[in-house]
Amino acid sequence: MHEMSVAHEICRMVAERLGRDALADVVEVGVVVGDEAGIVADNLEFCLEALLSAPPFAGARPSIERCAGPALRLSYLEVEDGSPETAGAGAAA
Amino acid sequence: MSVRTIQIHGDVMARNDAYAERIRRRLSDAGVAAFNLISSPGSGKTTLLERTLERLDREIPIAVVTGDVQTENDARRLERHTARLVQAVVTDGGCHLDARQIHDAVGALDLSEIRLLFVENVGNLVCPATWDLGEAAKIVVLSVTEGEDKPLKYPTAFRRARMAIFNKIDLLPYLEYDLDAAVGYARQVNPEIETLFVSARTGEGMDGWYDFLRARVAGREAA
Repeated sequence: MHEMSVAHEICRMVAERLGRDALADVVEVGVVVGDEAGIVADNLEFCLEALLSAPPFAGARPSIERCAGPALRLSYLEVEDGSPETAGAGAAA
Repeated sequence: MSVRTIQIHGDVMARNDAYAERIRRRLSDAGVAAFNLISSPGSGKTTLLERTLERLDREIPIAVVTGDVQTENDARRLERHTARLVQAVVTDGGCHLDARQIHDAVGALDLSEIRLLFVENVGNLVCPATWDLGEAAKIVVLSVTEGEDKPLKYPTAFRRARMAIFNKIDLLPYLEYDLDAAVGYARQVNPEIETLFVSARTGEGMDGWYDFLRARVAGREAA
């Protein structure tokens, strides 16, 4: 029932990771959803589709991987080649 | 078009959990035991807390934060039983309380005045189970007018709870509720779960609840 607020948080993390200027380069947002995360994966996907289709995102698609346990992670971003690489730490400590 | 992958592995709950840890540290430093009550609507959380305030508030100073989708009715009910402010969080459609809301509510409390804090979560056995609010433990309340298989239907809530309180046991003679089966289901999803059987309305079994709370508060003071 709180999938939209989780989707907003995921989009905030994406924006934080890439910086606003590079958002147009995101083509896929990978998310891991555990079966004990209290999240309906299909619903989260629907919310992410809605948010990622609107500015400042440019139609990136969500990709949800399900797993066992309580995990709820922004797993990876796929970006168009040529966008600035900032290797290193994840979005959250 | 070629694409490349940037690994992130960022915990989506990290911001909530950071608030929760901050709350937990503040409560621990102040010697306050905090319990997060979760249940489906109508299980009797507010009545349980009314009786608890009546019985214990002079012995153990208690603060309560209530969460409801709409109205501050629960807070108004509880205020009749304590001189302290009962804080109401109206989620305005939100299905659970999050740690930031509790962080703000706890920030408005004088923790030196209290020993026990209850968070009465939004009536919902799904979402509140997955949000850490900085509590010492989650306690799930279920009434014997619900189905015995609630623990199997909502396993996350029971798995993450320290205790299950079966309420409204005064109604058992009028129901076909199989209490042993319900307890078995709760232990099936969480073998460690503690159980209490009470009627908050009649007071039956409530001494066990008060003793549990006294022991938790004494444990904090000893620590």
